Amino acid sequence: MEYALLQAVFLPLLLSPLAYIIGRKVGHTAATWFTFGLLLYCTILIITASIGGTYEEHYPWTELFGEFGFMLDGLAAPFAIMIYVLCTILALYSKPYMLHKFHEFFKEQAPKPVYQSDGTVLESVSLEKFVNRQSGVYYALFLVFSMGMLGTVLATNLIEFYIFFEVMLIPAFLLIGFWGDHPRRRVALMFFFWTHVGAVILLLGLLAIGLNVGSFDFADINETDIPPGILLAAAVAIIIGLGVKLAAFGFHIWLPYAHGSAPTPISALLSPAMIGIGAYALFRLIVEFLPQTYADLSIWISIWGVATMFYGGAMALMQDDIKRVFAYSSISQMGYLLFGIGSMSTLGLAGAEMMYISHALGKGLLFMTAGVLIVHVGARHLSKLGGLAGKMPITAVCAFIGALTIMGVPPTSGFMGEWMLFYGVLETALEEGDDLRTLLFALGLVATVLTMSYILWMFKRVFLGKIPENLSKVKDGSWYMLAPMMVLAGFTIVVGIYPDIFLQKIMPYMQGVLGG
Amino acid sequence: MATEIIATEGDAMFAWLIWILPFVAALIIPAVAKVSKLSTGRVAIGFAAMSAISAAMLFPMALEGHEIHSQVDWISAIGLKAGVLADPLSIIMANVVGWISFLIICYSTGYMKGDKDIVRFWFWMMFFIGSMQLIVLSDNLLQLFFGWEGVGLASYALIAFWYRDKAKHHVGKEGRTVLGIMEYYSPTHSGMKAFIMTKVGDVMMLAGMFLIFAFAGTFGFKELLADTAWAVNMSAEGLLVPAVVLLFGGAIGKSAQFPLNEWLLEAMTGPTAVSALIHAATMVKAGVFLVARLGPLVFALGAAGILVDQFFEIIAWVGAFTALLLATQAMVNPEIKKVLAYSTGSQIGYMMMALGIAGLSEQFVDGYTAGFYHMISHAMFKASLFMAAGSLLHVVGSRFMTDMGGLRKKMRKTYAFMWAAGLGLMGAPFITTGFWSKDAIFAAVYESGNEWALPIFIIAVLTAAITAFYTTRMMGLVFFGKESKHIEKMESEGHHIHDAPRSMWIPYGILAVLTIGIGVIGFSAEGGIHELFTEYLDESFGIQTPHIDVEISGSLGFLSGLNPIAVGASLVAFAVGFGLGYIFYIGRWVDPVKFINSNIFFYALHKVILNRWYLNAMIYWGFVIAPLWAARAIWRYFEKTAIDTGMNTGLERSVRFGAKVVQGTQTGVAQSYLFVFGAGLLFVVLILLI
Repeated sequence: MEYALLQAVFLPLLLSPLAYIIGRKVGHTAATWFTFGLLLYCTILIITASIGGTYEEHYPWTELFGEFGFMLDGLAAPFAIMIYVLCTILALYSKPYMLHKFHEFFKEQAPKPVYQSDGTVLESVSLEKFVNRQSGVYYALFLVFSMGMLGTVLATNLIEFYIFFEVMLIPAFLLIGFWGDHPRRRVALMFFFWTHVGAVILLLGLLAIGLNVGSFDFADINETDIPPGILLAAAVAIIIGLGVKLAAFGFHIWLPYAHGSAPTPISALLSPAMIGIGAYALFRLIVEFLPQTYADLSIWISIWGVATMFYGGAMALMQDDIKRVFAYSSISQMGYLLFGIGSMSTLGLAGAEMMYISHALGKGLLFMTAGVLIVHVGARHLSKLGGLAGKMPITAVCAFIGALTIMGVPPTSGFMGEWMLFYGVLETALEEGDDLRTLLFALGLVATVLTMSYILWMFKRVFLGKIPENLSKVKDGSWYMLAPMMVLAGFTIVVGIYPDIFLQKIMPYMQGVLGG
Repeated sequence: MATEIIATEGDAMFAWLIWILPFVAALIIPAVAKVSKLSTGRVAIGFAAMSAISAAMLFPMALEGHEIHSQVDWISAIGLKAGVLADPLSIIMANVVGWISFLIICYSTGYMKGDKDIVRFWFWMMFFIGSMQLIVLSDNLLQLFFGWEGVGLASYALIAFWYRDKAKHHVGKEGRTVLGIMEYYSPTHSGMKAFIMTKVGDVMMLAGMFLIFAFAGTFGFKELLADTAWAVNMSAEGLLVPAVVLLFGGAIGKSAQFPLNEWLLEAMTGPTAVSALIHAATMVKAGVFLVARLGPLVFALGAAGILVDQFFEIIAWVGAFTALLLATQAMVNPEIKKVLAYSTGSQIGYMMMALGIAGLSEQFVDGYTAGFYHMISHAMFKASLFMAAGSLLHVVGSRFMTDMGGLRKKMRKTYAFMWAAGLGLMGAPFITTGFWSKDAIFAAVYESGNEWALPIFIIAVLTAAITAFYTTRMMGLVFFGKESKHIEKMESEGHHIHDAPRSMWIPYGILAVLTIGIGVIGFSAEGGIHELFTEYLDESFGIQTPHIDVEISGSLGFLSGLNPIAVGASLVAFAVGFGLGYIFYIGRWVDPVKFINSNIFFYALHKVILNRWYLNAMIYWGFVIAPLWAARAIWRYFEKTAIDTGMNTGLERSVRFGAKVVQGTQTGVAQSYLFVFGAGLLFVVLILLI
């Protein structure tokens, strides 16, 4: 299978105009299925390529930057698979949600018909036309967004990595700016501004490394080539830049706005797939390439992680808007990732990557639940919801499985990530006899109780208790929405019972990184 | 004893099937419901029976002292295996769980008849049985933890089963507050409370598991025992006792021991079949089972010269304190299910006490057998009492005992069976299992020779008296005296009050009869288990028992094996408790309300006990209200101001301000530009000159 990864990354980009044309000329259903089919094909490419060992592709690029390559190793494969699986099923999920959104927008935005003097319509835009045109744009942007995320985790070159890192921001910015909730333009700008600031700080770090090493190719990077002072500054710049991406405590302010306002399918990509890419980059750039600096800084990463876990959890308790609950919950979950990345142990690092997978599954499910509520109930504030379990049983079950995943209750994948992660932290603490790490471990366990509290409380206020009278006619979501959710719900349980699917790839990589 | 390590053939198949079958049922029940909702109950009964029969198939093997250890690959990336360990301990437990679940599932077909969410009920019940059997049969801690969380999950889902929060499904009295905390809880609130409180125990257990794994590199019980170098290393660093105490933390949470005991009361919002199965007979015993699993291992380490006494002291004291704490509260509560719930926690305290004392005495097996035997007898009579209480609720339609009264003529079968099971709980002498198991605990505590033996013994006897008192009170309030206004109203409205249908009374009848039936041969039954465990502990853990008890036969010679002081204390406790209960509630010679109000001391004591020793209120203040208050303060004064306004609005304002400043200079007037230019030039020249 030659060019598998090249296809997986660039087909969505190259065919995105086609998605627009199909949407405009044929209709939104066709655009949906076209996008779904294309992404499904790419997902299958990635999965087949990842079976077996490390899979690489290299293509000539410029003299200046080095090679343009794609690599699917033990670290990248789970990220890549999760990103495209989510993108694929969210393409289907988008259809009813965006249709709902387009209809709303038609009322607000559609140009007023031009009337002739005798009252007949001279010129107007029909709803159908409006919807088709909008969905064309939507799916084109959706494809570019997907390809940006995938490219980031497959890149083998610092500059290539940075380009993809920025490429995913632009469609996300437009998607929020076009179809977000009020105040969408402001939020889109805020999102773009903060993540871009993060990216620029990251770029400084990348350039410092690349210029000192003399090559931007991942394969050439060697920590010892870099002068110590610059090394530390570069590492700190990278960590801070990625901290903005992860929305770690202190740099999290853009996230609740972006996740709260973005159209829900996009929230379900931003949170589970996109922000976790920051964790991928931490693995790749810090843990793998700068092991010595990583050893020095790991404790700070852990502390930052615990602070983020608590802060996100505490703030999630205070939210009334369900999407903001999940947004703060994402911040808290990114704290878990940071906590695991700072653990300096094989199982801890592997656990952090498992946490990415389970967060993608769990939070994906929860955001999709929020979408079902917005479309079928018309409310997103917890104080206006309640008792919906009887009205929308399938959604409730999927949401519950998602909630269990986030809480880390077996048999969902959340537990597999969590126990390895926490064990890893404790292992290092015991090995080094480090009291601070032991304390962090204990605090981390307390944070899991906090996580459980806000998730259960959220679930209770949405699905349990007395049902408000105006919601007594609510029906469950359409199959476009439910089927994707059921796929994710099944997936999280399969991974939770049989984590070897991913661990077989992750463990050797982590052992290699820490052993070497 | 032969330990077979085999894959999945032969008898090992049964060991796997015991816990897999209920999960299979849980998966197919929603599918069956699409075809016919009615047959879901039959599927549940069928699979529960098959699981119980699988357990029974292994029973002969347990009696012979054989064990099966069967493993398959699980997380091969980390080298972890999944497995089942069917030894006498787990096989007996699996049979207790299997058969009691089977009876309760049968009972549920009557109790839950007509509930429109019945499919969900069966799903979670079967999921629960599977998880519970997984705990019992796991050969390693990680897999056990799957079951552990599984039962917690099922418990949450079933406590909150009636999730629409109708007033009749609440517990507590509406409007009653303690220290400003409302003690009136909805099912959904109670489910959350149970799940979160047990999670506190679970994270402690995880920490303990990790500590052991970090040193031993394995979660397996067999592997931990095979090579004890890890324990020596841990002990050298002073981490062994903390690790096992943390593991015990999980047991505290799951078994509702002090200080994580408060969730069990609110768990009574679930359907009564659930209370009987999960919150009386099986799940809350998971903690006891864990201690029974780990106790011998830790004791064996102790025998090898590692200091572990603190572990057993903590267990014994937590058990003793909980037994007393919850028994006192059972004396005053007006709700029948809550009385039984308090009683459950209190009786589990007894079991913990026995297991703890076992580790502190020479003859480990005495306390061990006593605790385990009490668990079995308690599972029988308490499940029976709960199911009987369920049928009372079913008929009377109220959870308050003050709404019952005088029912002995109207519900004869329930009356008789409740007496039988109730006598078991009270420990009525010589004919009930409860007497023999409690007596064994008294004897074990008394004979342990430990420095704490006497105070714990006194607490145990005191608790036994209280137990007899509150059981008599319950019987008196429900079945004796005049009919309450509530019942009179029901009858005047045309409700005929009579026994529950057959599918309901047969299960609790069976268990009640067993309580007495096994009770008659109770001492030799205990002797049998004692003998079995003596051999088991010796063969599996190398725990030698100094001398084997005398041969136990049916003759009266067996009485020589009894400890006269323990028997005497047991008799006195029963007599005092029953006598006082009779005076107040059956004979009704003294009005309890007047008695309490007669004396400031009794009044204060009553109030403290009725307010749950203020523990519940303090937990709410400390762990719910204070954190929420802190979160709100951070939200208001940090997130919204410093972070949000500071970073977003602040940045925007400063950019705007900067723009304004710069804008101000762009006047477009040539003179001012020239003036600035000239001033600048002058400045540069001056600098060059100086």
